[in-house]
Amino acid sequence: MNAALEIAEAALAHVGDEAEAHVQSERSGLARFAGSRQHQPTLIEDAVVTLRVVRDGRVGVAVSNRTGDAGLRELAARATDAAENTPADPDFPGLPEPAALPIVAGPDSGTLALGPGEQAELAADAIAATGHYPAYGFFTSGSTEIAVASTTGVRAEQTTTDATVLVLASGDGFSGYATQTSARIADLDVRACGVEAAAKAARTRDAATVEPGVYRAVLEPYALAELLQYFAWDSFGAVGLLEERSYLAGRIGEPICDARISIADDALDADGLPRAFDFEGAPKERVALVEDGIARGVVWDRRSATRAGGDSRGTGHAPPVVLQSYGPLPFALSMRGGDAGSLDELAEAVGDGIYVTRLHYLGVVHPREGVVTGTTRDGTFRIRDGRVAEPLANLRFTVSVPRLLKDVPALTRDVKLVNGSDFYGDRFAFGVLAPAIATAYFNVTGVGSSPGI
Amino acid sequence: MRELCGEAVEAARAAGASYADARAVLRRQQTVATKNGRVDALSDVESEGIGVRVLVDGAWGFACDRRLTADGAHDAAARAAAFARASGGGGTRELAPVEPRRATYETSVEIDPFSVPIAEKIDFCLRAEEGLRRAEVKVAEAFVRALREQKVLVTSDGAELEQELVECGGGIDATAVGDGLAQIRSYPSAHGGSSAQAGWEYVLSLGLEREAPRVAEQAAALLQAPECAPGVMDVVIDAEQMQLQVHESVGHPTELDRVLGSEAAYAGTSFLKPVDVGSLRYGSPLMNITADPTTPRGLGTFGFDDEGIPAEPQPIVREGVLVGWIGSREAGFPGSMRADGWSRMPLVRMTNLHLDPGEGTLEELIEGVDDGLYLETNKSWSIDDKRLNFQFGTQVAWEIRDGKLGKLVRDATYTGITPQFWGSLDAVAGLDAWRLQGLTNCGKGQPGQSAHVSHGAAPARFRGVQVGVHA
Repeated sequence: MNAALEIAEAALAHVGDEAEAHVQSERSGLARFAGSRQHQPTLIEDAVVTLRVVRDGRVGVAVSNRTGDAGLRELAARATDAAENTPADPDFPGLPEPAALPIVAGPDSGTLALGPGEQAELAADAIAATGHYPAYGFFTSGSTEIAVASTTGVRAEQTTTDATVLVLASGDGFSGYATQTSARIADLDVRACGVEAAAKAARTRDAATVEPGVYRAVLEPYALAELLQYFAWDSFGAVGLLEERSYLAGRIGEPICDARISIADDALDADGLPRAFDFEGAPKERVALVEDGIARGVVWDRRSATRAGGDSRGTGHAPPVVLQSYGPLPFALSMRGGDAGSLDELAEAVGDGIYVTRLHYLGVVHPREGVVTGTTRDGTFRIRDGRVAEPLANLRFTVSVPRLLKDVPALTRDVKLVNGSDFYGDRFAFGVLAPAIATAYFNVTGVGSSPGI
Repeated sequence: MRELCGEAVEAARAAGASYADARAVLRRQQTVATKNGRVDALSDVESEGIGVRVLVDGAWGFACDRRLTADGAHDAAARAAAFARASGGGGTRELAPVEPRRATYETSVEIDPFSVPIAEKIDFCLRAEEGLRRAEVKVAEAFVRALREQKVLVTSDGAELEQELVECGGGIDATAVGDGLAQIRSYPSAHGGSSAQAGWEYVLSLGLEREAPRVAEQAAALLQAPECAPGVMDVVIDAEQMQLQVHESVGHPTELDRVLGSEAAYAGTSFLKPVDVGSLRYGSPLMNITADPTTPRGLGTFGFDDEGIPAEPQPIVREGVLVGWIGSREAGFPGSMRADGWSRMPLVRMTNLHLDPGEGTLEELIEGVDDGLYLETNKSWSIDDKRLNFQFGTQVAWEIRDGKLGKLVRDATYTGITPQFWGSLDAVAGLDAWRLQGLTNCGKGQPGQSAHVSHGAAPARFRGVQVGVHA
């Protein structure tokens, strides 16, 4: 039994009603650097208990990081008070019954062993690898113990690890980017990350501009992953579907993308950041979202499934109870790769167009149409005659994501795990497994800043 | 907590820190949300701990501990010093001198929001939401929030400061659905309503029930409205969207940590350079921007920032010229450092950033437009890493023809380049139309931190703006 489960059981002992305790403890370090100096190194240790108390169908929730006896007693009193003063929730399906959980890879001992000294050293290695290019970014690693215990008998526990290195090699008029993430520190090559960022930066001086218009384009996995995640938050969750705010509303079963496109949410994929259960201890399931270009479904939790009128079976995507108004959301997206062996092959498939390394500050313009805007950053190039050519300034784009995925000449065979977390709040590492993609549609709607600091 | 912070600072000094500060924070946040007549979310979150920041041999380190005990304070100090040492790499970091203060500060509150029973908050939301109901409105939502943060800061310079900040807020959203469209209208602000440093009296003053029928009616009407057509035209922008315009295109680029590159890998940098202050033309002579951490009810209001600097208004833009920065002791421009709770390092953050009022009324601004758009309430936003190229969308717009509002338009967007856009400013409405609203989702830093800030603005008019950006 991990320490989180011990705290969860201790919390339950203070409640006289039906109840569920979710505990997440975090131990992490993030060595942030700018101008090749580490400037904001941050060590975090916390443990947060979310207690859900149920009384006659009325649900009360309270959260605390005071895990001693007095803290848990007060937590139980606040959650119980909330339950007593809340009307019954018709969509609440009751607390889940215990279910067999899938087996996923355990925590990585190498990542668990990283302390502040190693974290700072790995950041220094990444910085050194950029050579004479000033480095900006971070190295972070962390472990989280997660546990769910309930009066219905659920006992779920998992310890996860994650590590990410991110390097921006940048100065006046040049900028390159690279990042790596994994559940296992041995998968990361922080020096290679620095070298990749510096090599990209070296090609971005004297950036030109292009006229707004529709271009063919290559998107590296960094760019595609972020675009997919933004689209997914509005379109691949059950609540958006039920409320007809999502692109998928009325489109399930219809072709929405190129037949080469298949997207799933799969927290069980060993190449991702595996999780065995959701925030109420229900087993994680792989969910096909798009198969061979056909919209297949969205992710569900038991509450949204109840609201939809069927049985209350979800897909293992219950959000944290305090965020339940967002509904279930996909946090383990995975897009199937294609046949291309390299990024060069994608450029050949594009012929004439734009090459995009990374995106910046995405915003959903029209959720129902899947329209997203943002800018490119840290490595935008022209593609001419099937080859990556001169650097470009950062470009504003406004695209319908399904339209971008509608005519896809090629995808790379390899997929890359791209970190999706900015580490706000309690640590919840997630990422997208994405290939690089060639598309016939990338709508440039403006020209922004030049590369660099 | 004061003693505990003092112990942490002493422990950090003993571990080799040339400078140290310790912040103990107790935070409680309560949220109630209803949707379509049902409670959709109810949470009551408490968090406490101590964060210790140190300078060792010219390198920063930060560590935190949730235990508000002597052991927690000592451990956080020791780990912060160890991380700083490991992160070192030579060099120095100078901090601007500060006169250490011993003081207290607290938000002025008439009704303690945590004294209002949960049942009353739920009932308040349900009543507000009822006015949103109509056939076209698929989703009617109301929400209220309250936050209390008690924090103590002790620095090795001798500052000892205790503050208690209280926030309240609320809002309503109506999402109308039909004919393949989904259109949202919000009040008093999008993306979580509006909040203020105040008690429950602020929520009661918002008039959510009163405004709900209008909000629902507009959401429904948008389903029948034509899409905003592309073009270059004059626009009048309402106070709320102007607040976002100020936040994104003036607030962030004038944060000195961005100017100096600290945020390059995440939030981005700035088109501004340190030498620009005093000479760079940011906008037209009608543009005046002030950072003011003393604004009553502002979410960026405090007695002292998280480096112990007393709150003081700062001019940022005067008559269109950049004259000041939002900064920190290390950046040589102290007064705007804040951390998100006890587990994050203080960063340069906006306080309350205002577009100072001009003259006249919204109606007079509209009368000055022959062919244009009036834009209201933010819907989407995006801006590039140097804060130059932006594209914003609003929930609703109306055509302006010959100085009068015309038909409703949906899915309006406008785009521009920051200094050129502000250069096209030719009117700001007066104080009677100036509104202060608070947002709680300003993201920055790695690991990420959310800041709460307020902006005041009146409606403003811009000439020759690109509107109607389509996919």
